[in-house]
Amino acid sequence: MLLLTRDRRFWIRIRICFIVSLMMAGTIAVGWGAWSLGVVRQKELSDIAREQYIRRISVSARRGLITDRYGEELAVEVEVDSIYADPREVKNAGYAAKKLASVLDREQDVLQRRLSSRKHFVWLKRRVSPSESTKVKAMKLKGVHIVKESKRFYPSRELAAHVVGFAGMDSRGLEGVERLFDDQLKGNQDAASGLADAQGNIVFSKGVFGADKVVGNNIMLTIDRNLQFEVEEELKNTVRLFQAKSGQIVVMDPNSGDVLAMASYPTYNLNDITSSNPDKRRNRAVLDVYEPGSTMKVFTLAAAINSGVLRPNEKIFCEKGRMEFYDVVLHDDHRDGWLNPTQCLKRSSNICFAKIAGRMGSKRLYRYMRRFGFGEKTNVQVPYEMRGLLQHHNEWSEFLTATIAFGQGIGVTGIQMATALSTIANGGKLMKPNLIRKVTDAEGEIILENTPTVRRRVISRRTARLVTDMMTAVTEEGGTGSEAALEGYLVAGKTGTAQKSTGAHGYRDKEKFVASFFGFVPADNPRMVISVVIDEPLVSYYGGTVAAPALRRIADKALRDMGVTPNFTVRRGNPASKAEDAELSTEREQEGTVVENTAVNEQAAMITPAEIPLKKGQVRTPKLIGLPMGLVVSELAEFELRPLFFGTGVAAEQTPAPGVPIDKGEYVQVNFSPNGEYEGNQ
Amino acid sequence: MDSDFQTRDNKGRLQRRPMDKALLVSVLMLCVFGLIMVFSASAVEAGKKFDNPMLFFNKQAIFAGIGLVAMLVLARVDYAIYTKSVVVWSMLALAFFGVLACKTPLGLTLNGASRWLKAGPITIQPAEALKVCLVLWLSYSLNKKSLKIKSFSIGFLPHLIIPGMLMAACMLQPDFGTTMVMAILTFTLLFVAGAKLGYILLAAIVSTPIVYFLITGSAYRLARMMTFLDPLATRFTTGYQLSQSLFGYASGGFSGRGLGDGLQKLLYLPEAHNDFIGSIIGEELGVIGIWAVLLLYVVVATRGIVIAFRSRDTFGTYVAFGISTLFAIQALLNLAVSMGLLPTKGLNLPFVSYGGSALLITMAAAGILLSVSRGSKYEVAADVEELAESTDTDDKSGRHRKGNRRSSSAQKGK
Repeated sequence: MLLLTRDRRFWIRIRICFIVSLMMAGTIAVGWGAWSLGVVRQKELSDIAREQYIRRISVSARRGLITDRYGEELAVEVEVDSIYADPREVKNAGYAAKKLASVLDREQDVLQRRLSSRKHFVWLKRRVSPSESTKVKAMKLKGVHIVKESKRFYPSRELAAHVVGFAGMDSRGLEGVERLFDDQLKGNQDAASGLADAQGNIVFSKGVFGADKVVGNNIMLTIDRNLQFEVEEELKNTVRLFQAKSGQIVVMDPNSGDVLAMASYPTYNLNDITSSNPDKRRNRAVLDVYEPGSTMKVFTLAAAINSGVLRPNEKIFCEKGRMEFYDVVLHDDHRDGWLNPTQCLKRSSNICFAKIAGRMGSKRLYRYMRRFGFGEKTNVQVPYEMRGLLQHHNEWSEFLTATIAFGQGIGVTGIQMATALSTIANGGKLMKPNLIRKVTDAEGEIILENTPTVRRRVISRRTARLVTDMMTAVTEEGGTGSEAALEGYLVAGKTGTAQKSTGAHGYRDKEKFVASFFGFVPADNPRMVISVVIDEPLVSYYGGTVAAPALRRIADKALRDMGVTPNFTVRRGNPASKAEDAELSTEREQEGTVVENTAVNEQAAMITPAEIPLKKGQVRTPKLIGLPMGLVVSELAEFELRPLFFGTGVAAEQTPAPGVPIDKGEYVQVNFSPNGEYEGNQ
Repeated sequence: MDSDFQTRDNKGRLQRRPMDKALLVSVLMLCVFGLIMVFSASAVEAGKKFDNPMLFFNKQAIFAGIGLVAMLVLARVDYAIYTKSVVVWSMLALAFFGVLACKTPLGLTLNGASRWLKAGPITIQPAEALKVCLVLWLSYSLNKKSLKIKSFSIGFLPHLIIPGMLMAACMLQPDFGTTMVMAILTFTLLFVAGAKLGYILLAAIVSTPIVYFLITGSAYRLARMMTFLDPLATRFTTGYQLSQSLFGYASGGFSGRGLGDGLQKLLYLPEAHNDFIGSIIGEELGVIGIWAVLLLYVVVATRGIVIAFRSRDTFGTYVAFGISTLFAIQALLNLAVSMGLLPTKGLNLPFVSYGGSALLITMAAAGILLSVSRGSKYEVAADVEELAESTDTDDKSGRHRKGNRRSSSAQKGK
């Protein structure tokens, strides 16, 4: 063009510039278009868009799973139907309300009011039963729709209820880990809204970009499901046997700080929150502050030895079981004379420990108590943890110093006791107790992983060793904790029997006690610390009688499960072995009955279940074998039966068998296994 | 203006200049941005349908690589080659028959439109190439006709008949969007070359009833027209896609939800990575993101116009202007459609939208544009008048020495 005459070149340029100015106008128009949509009309359009999203929400963002330390599911999501309406599509609100009220168990006028609103979207009833949903579907009411929503389901019901906690209707965590880790567990609601396509199907396919934002993170607890189950059974039996008010057990790995089991009783079914009260939902291991009584002596002893005021082999005069101390008289159960520290602990002599405390002085004792973690939160991952009660040593009288040394005048929690005892068990290190093993996202990527954390060294390895040996003596013959002795394993433990203080000025209720026992096994290579606290037992109140047997049974089962080989040369003949034998024989008897039962069942099986006539209110148990958990839930709900689940994977075994008549509302026990083949428990 | 002229070596031969760096950089930026947006927009759909979130991204990246090579090679090829009638006619014919072949069993029909040719695992859209070939052919022809462009029968009519045939072929597919782009290209190039305004207006008036007939004669285009007038009213039926696109822009707001965080692409907005990628940009990067993209296109088009102004010969001017217009109107039309400002559909966003062959062709066209920016080694002059200043390096001298250099086309005279 540069070769052209000036005139032609000029006109071509002018014409190009004209076209360019048109294109510039177009550019401005498009730029303005973006501004108009993104800023000027943003609200108007976003509102319509959101309305559309809501029309298509299939599920609220899917909550993450909660599993035990081996991946066994404790909290899962299942899909249920919810009924909503677009009132603008509804022709005759009155008629629709009347029909819906007949099946939905909702007030007719409430429904009518909702159906006549001017909105595009109203909930009619969320998370309905399959039968309600089919009935509504059959009505074919215009403007009334059904969507799938996800609902929290706890396959093991009461198991670890206080730890897991629960989530409410709108998928918000209200208790326990569900509450504390709500942010991790809940998915992104906005993204969830978008993840439903035009047909309302959910787009939760694996590997989808962005799906990780919608599905919440999964939480793996340090809890061992099987151990937790044993612990809960043991706790329930103990509380019932001794007619106690409540109880709590904590099992901890002293080397890592992992909480392997944490149980409180009374407990509640996580799937049926409305029928429980706050008292049942109380996680006593972190919320109940109690006076520990004699178990505290372990720490007084460790402090005294570690600070050098007490030599392991010196003798203390026990005043024949009676000592006047200021204006009160201290009593021991035994009228002993001179005792070495081991014997002091074994006999649980208050007088000796009052003397040891006198030697230590309030300041030093206080500092050790603080170093053991008393009077501060352990920061285990549980909401509202209590810090216990430990006054500053300036406030301590000499009398209080003495009573604190044997566990009166100090308030502790179960988790504090287990954590502090771990210090003795692991050679002197105070660990941070841990309830969360790891947090992973939907794709399995690790978001957070807890590794063992040493908070501080409290006592020397040598002191820990000495105190362990002394504690082992407690479970030997003549010790207060001989009930905890275990064939083949060394048990280090300590009993605690504390009168409950109910008044402001140290008035002690003669009737009410806290019976406790804590210890660790095997004493020579500790694998677990167990703390058993039974509140207000009526039948007996000695820690050694009430709590120690529970510890023994838990330790026995757990050690076998862990594959810790018993060492029978370690133990001399011990008084518990008789009881142990008795225990074993009853077990053998029970096994006998089980065999008989099976025989009976086999006879019953001669007639096929389908031939058994149905009574009124009964249904035939559906066949569940081979179905995944979600389908089992809906299948059972279809027949108005209730699930009782064990294991994960595919249904492998069910009781009652398919076809057997069962009352509506009854539980059907289903055992799941990953490969669909069930191997027995034992 | 001295810098606008190509230098000569000591034997008096024309030297090519270095290519336009600003153009190259802005084109590459658009391509990279396009790859990112294609990944963001398509990952969910690809993951759902093909179990591989990277599928579309990978395909697009391969074509971008091939396109880059094509662009750099074509930038080295002297554009004078396109003035050879054999070359330009055969290119045009190839693209034309390619478009026609879409209707044969060689083609692929999707959603009632036969716009693709199947070649093994890949599909090609010949209409994309046809647009570039049309620009080259128009430039070639207008350059050759030179001042005869003013005449109706020699200058104007052929430039209506040939493009008209091409457009008819496109309408057979049917591809209304490409037809519109080609019509606009034809009229603007005719206008710039100096065709009489009266003829152009006449042609526009005559074609109006045809366009009207085409719209009302096809139920789906009529429906689309109604959709355009009020997308929200039909948002559950025909206006679904457009409404979703508007929602995308709106939910992005001024600064966007953040790259990768858009919701509309989660299977709400069909073809999110394709014709409606603008909505995803709006949703994730906001108004500011759209403006940034517009700015990149303005840079590309502006460089194209500068190249047109600096071209020694008129052919280069037409080619540079034609290609930059092609980029500009296609980008503007695409964005305008996704914002509901214009009714038509079926145009992609150059360099950004998903579509392998379209990206390849667009990058090749950018290569031709870069080639024009480098100037030619040959005299591409078309008529005597152009030769007048062929030896003149000084615009202001005003001397007109005619006929001292001959070219084949000059023999045709006036």
